Amino acid sequence: MSKIVIIEDTEKIREELKTFLIRYGYDAIAPTNFENIFHETLREEPDLILLDINLPIFDGYYICREIRKTSDVPIIVVTSRDNEMDELMSMNLGADDFISKPFNTQILLARIETILRRVHGSNIRDTIVYNDLKLNLSNGSVIYNGITAELTKNELKILSCLIKNKGKIVSRDDLMDFMWNSDVFVDDNNLSVNITRLRKKLEGLGMKENIETRRGLGYILP
Amino acid sequence: MSIKDYLKDRTLFLLINFTLFIILCGIILLSNSNSKIIFLIFCIWFLPILSYIFVEFIKQKIFYTELNNLMESLDKKYLLSEIVKEPEFIEGKFLHDLLKRTNKDMHEHVKKYRDMEHEYREYIETWVHEIKTPIASARLIIENNQNGITKDINQEIKKIEEYIEQVLYYSRSNNVSKDYIIKEVSLATLVRSIVKKNSRDFISKNISIDINAVEGTVYSDVKWLEFILNQVIGNAIKYIKDRNGKVTISTIQNENNIVLTIEDNGIGIIENDLNRVFEKGFTGENGRKFGKSTGIGLYLCKKLAKQLGLGLTLTSKTGEGTKVSIIFPLGSVNLIH
Repeated sequence: MSKIVIIEDTEKIREELKTFLIRYGYDAIAPTNFENIFHETLREEPDLILLDINLPIFDGYYICREIRKTSDVPIIVVTSRDNEMDELMSMNLGADDFISKPFNTQILLARIETILRRVHGSNIRDTIVYNDLKLNLSNGSVIYNGITAELTKNELKILSCLIKNKGKIVSRDDLMDFMWNSDVFVDDNNLSVNITRLRKKLEGLGMKENIETRRGLGYILP
Repeated sequence: MSIKDYLKDRTLFLLINFTLFIILCGIILLSNSNSKIIFLIFCIWFLPILSYIFVEFIKQKIFYTELNNLMESLDKKYLLSEIVKEPEFIEGKFLHDLLKRTNKDMHEHVKKYRDMEHEYREYIETWVHEIKTPIASARLIIENNQNGITKDINQEIKKIEEYIEQVLYYSRSNNVSKDYIIKEVSLATLVRSIVKKNSRDFISKNISIDINAVEGTVYSDVKWLEFILNQVIGNAIKYIKDRNGKVTISTIQNENNIVLTIEDNGIGIIENDLNRVFEKGFTGENGRKFGKSTGIGLYLCKKLAKQLGLGLTLTSKTGEGTKVSIIFPLGSVNLIH
């Protein structure tokens, strides 16, 4: 489990962000002692840091520079100051990415995943598992009981979204939104076709559980 | 200044002299003196006066013509008193001094308003940044408590964000030099990010999007472009009213420009309104029919586009759709600097 340290002074955002990241399977820590923020942060040995710029005592730029002196941990700057200068400044001080507030949470997750995958090689979050089914995100294949099937990009996105939300109903709109946010701009008809194909492929693998349709609500992997 | 005006200005002086001369002539005639002497007196009296008037006229004519030419050539007319050299005659000196003083006072007055405007702008910028924090919190809270109600609230918050963005760019649009950075922008990346930003609206209104024909790179400010494109795409979504909505975004590379076109099959704009869509506060027929229009969006787009050195055009047919083109002159980076 990747450990993420959130350096953020607004209590509400800190707590909600922590809850959010924990819900998506990260180990999130949000220190509140800003006097000693470097040591607290570095002691946690995080895999990634989310860093605000406007902070009490030391500002984010300073913290970024100090952390870079001793550590190469990836840093994403998250701030409401969204002009290009701030972005440039953050990048110059060694931040890996820059997201402006208010951010789209899915985009934040995507950026975190991308950076973690880049830094730690391909072993992190590259395969996701659903019961006996293994989905390999990097080459788009599924393995079930030793049988492999290749998925198209669209099918891969649909299946990964449903697995990440297993046991929960995902509405068609949410599913499409997830796909749009991964650069797949499918329309309604397309989605139905893709779901049908994906079902067939999973059936072909001999999977007992398959994608179920809940009329008027959406899809679910039980 | 003509000689006639000049003489008119000196009527009284000449009149007095003539009257005195006539009175003198009367006296001389009454004393039975030689009438030749009258001619002599006339010459002695009026020759110097008339030559003086003539010389003065030439001098003044030169002075005022110069002044006038200077005024014409000046870009900022109020700088005249700073540039003109101080005249040597007394009225000129006096007026020059007056002009300088009024100018100084005017400058102070203008500066006061400029400072006020600047302060207000700074306040708006700070306000916009401040308000983003509670909005970010609200969105996270919604994300962590997803249900039908919070989803609706999320949509409303998205609208709030867009209005806030508009405030920010409105205040920035009057003072462009401060915060734009020109760099290479990939149009495909730009378009994708804005489409994603509006994904929820596309999906919930079941509008399909075609962005396959977008390619090329331009040099511009990405934040400003995002704002312009977001307004245009937002309008396209807003004015698609029936099912089977479709937005097509494409680029055409010409010899000296790249044209990014956003085309929708929405309700379109009536012909009478077409040439006024970029006017501030203009809402037109669609604004009356459907409401929720401020007449600021396209006005701002045009203004920002102009400052970035881009062209922005709109064509539309009622019932068929609207087509907005953003024209990037090639080498626009050179044009701006």
